[in-house]
Amino acid sequence: MAMLRDYLRPTRLWAPAPIKPHYQVVIIGGGIHGLATAYFLAKTHGIRDVAVLERHYIGFGGSGRNTAIVRANQRTAASVRLYDEGLKLWPVLVDELDFNLMFFNSGNLNLAHSEAAVAAFRMAIGTANFLGIRSELLDPLQCRELIPALDISDRPEHPIQAGMYHPPGGTLRHDAVVWALAKGAAAHGVHIHQGVEVTGIDTDGGRVTGVQTNRGALQCRQLGIMAGGYGTALCTLIGLELPVHPLTIQAMVTQPLKPFLNHVVSSGAYHVYATQTLKGEIATGAHMDPQVNYTTDPTARYFKHQAEALTDFMPVLKDVKFMRTWAGLADMTPDMAPIMDANVGFDGLYLDVGWGYFGFKAGPIAGKYLAEMIARDQIPEIISPFGLGRFLENRYAGETAGAMKYGHWDS
Amino acid sequence: MTFMLTCPICGRRELHEFLCGGQERGPRPPQEGLSAEAHFRYAQFRSIPPAPQPEWWYHGQGCGVWFKATRNPATNREERPGG
Ligand SMILES: Cc1cc2nc3c(=O)[nH]c(=O)nc-3n(C[C@H](O)[C@H](O)[C@H](O)COP(=O)(O)OP(=O)(O)OC[C@H]3O[C@@H](n4cnc5c(N)ncnc54)[C@H](O)[C@@H]3O)c2cc1C
Ligand SMILES: [Zn+2]
Repeated sequence: MAMLRDYLRPTRLWAPAPIKPHYQVVIIGGGIHGLATAYFLAKTHGIRDVAVLERHYIGFGGSGRNTAIVRANQRTAASVRLYDEGLKLWPVLVDELDFNLMFFNSGNLNLAHSEAAVAAFRMAIGTANFLGIRSELLDPLQCRELIPALDISDRPEHPIQAGMYHPPGGTLRHDAVVWALAKGAAAHGVHIHQGVEVTGIDTDGGRVTGVQTNRGALQCRQLGIMAGGYGTALCTLIGLELPVHPLTIQAMVTQPLKPFLNHVVSSGAYHVYATQTLKGEIATGAHMDPQVNYTTDPTARYFKHQAEALTDFMPVLKDVKFMRTWAGLADMTPDMAPIMDANVGFDGLYLDVGWGYFGFKAGPIAGKYLAEMIARDQIPEIISPFGLGRFLENRYAGETAGAMKYGHWDS
Repeated sequence: MTFMLTCPICGRRELHEFLCGGQERGPRPPQEGLSAEAHFRYAQFRSIPPAPQPEWWYHGQGCGVWFKATRNPATNREERPGG
């Protein structure tokens, strides 16, 4: 019989593994994309000879720094299909991984403050509804019914004209997702190597053959670059140019408050979005530094903008204090859609990059299809619109016309 | 993060006086016979190593000059000759 002390004894989520000199698949990046890909490779496709290489610790990148908002109300049908499947995967993963991912299905309310923004909402709602996804246009009174703290008068600098309400979205606990996927991948035989930094990529006759690391060389037959915002730096190792700008993006939380904000609220005009975490803090994010860089240093003056924006349309937040801030990378593409592709430049090279500030919500679903892409060496239909070639053929994905733009990223 | 950038006319000034014009890409490829692919590569594709790169900057809230500076995306700092 299990004793209480058995339950209380600390247990490891996964056991460390020795670094082997050869793996069938090596994945660079221990974020949710790399871990999810490894998990599905092992679980769904029976490919267990997989190593995930992470130079710091798992979740060091965007996966441990994001604001964990999930939704499926993007502008284009190609995106909505993928994100919608991603949204439906969370409850499945909670069961499958036996881990509380703290999925809070709060719904998302996006605010419009101009006729143009209302028109953008109508387009996005049309796309969502056409694909059978709940999304609806609300008038300001209905917005205030959802979030009583909203000031719907004419006083704010940008008065609220309408809302786009998307009930299926919400938030999760991002660290739990990282840990659960690592636990699940390791349970299926995947090796997770932390503190292993890839410093070179070996190729031979147009094929990827392995990687150089601070812990020596590793050979592999297939290599996945799934390093979030650091993907652009890794691609320079093999002379691969990308239409991607890695930018530092910032988030911050206030002191904890009593629950009052039961939905994700966002506004393109104010360049701000906010949620109330289960701990009571208001988590808010928005700004990207305009110049490319790989640092995660926050910028002091963004506090001022967040405070001004939030208190203008939710005046109850006046005098509430920010407690901490942090930053991560957003790898931005010109059409604000990601890049997932196979045999890029070299046979055996698989690329997953350019997820900007939307890659958390799609992490597990991207991993599912990236695993299929690697296992079958064939691009699954649902992710085929996101190939690198679109940027050379003038077939941009068109997500820049969406309603969810919180930065200056308009070019 | 903020840092100081050296305007050739005004000297060292705070980052937020400037706009970043992006990586120095060399001259625009000649229009004559330019393929769509070559155009898109020039316009959008970049190599961004974590190492110093030449960039264009605009001193918008100062003297209004466009100039080249070298900055390292790994440190997000200007690299100045002599440190
Ligand atoms: C502040 C902020 C807020 C965000 N908010 C949201 C949100 O609300 N909703 C949403 O959907 N998305 C959001 N995002 C975006 C999301 O976090 C990312 O798109 C996502 O986490 C990317 O996951 P990933 O696994 O691809 O990369 P990452 O989590 O960045 O993982 C990449 C890993 O690769 C490792 N690595 C890099 N180089 C090497 C190397 N040479 N060798 C070995 N390992 C290496 C890094 O250490 C890192 O751990 C936000 C991002 C930030 C920064
Ligand atoms: Zn000047």
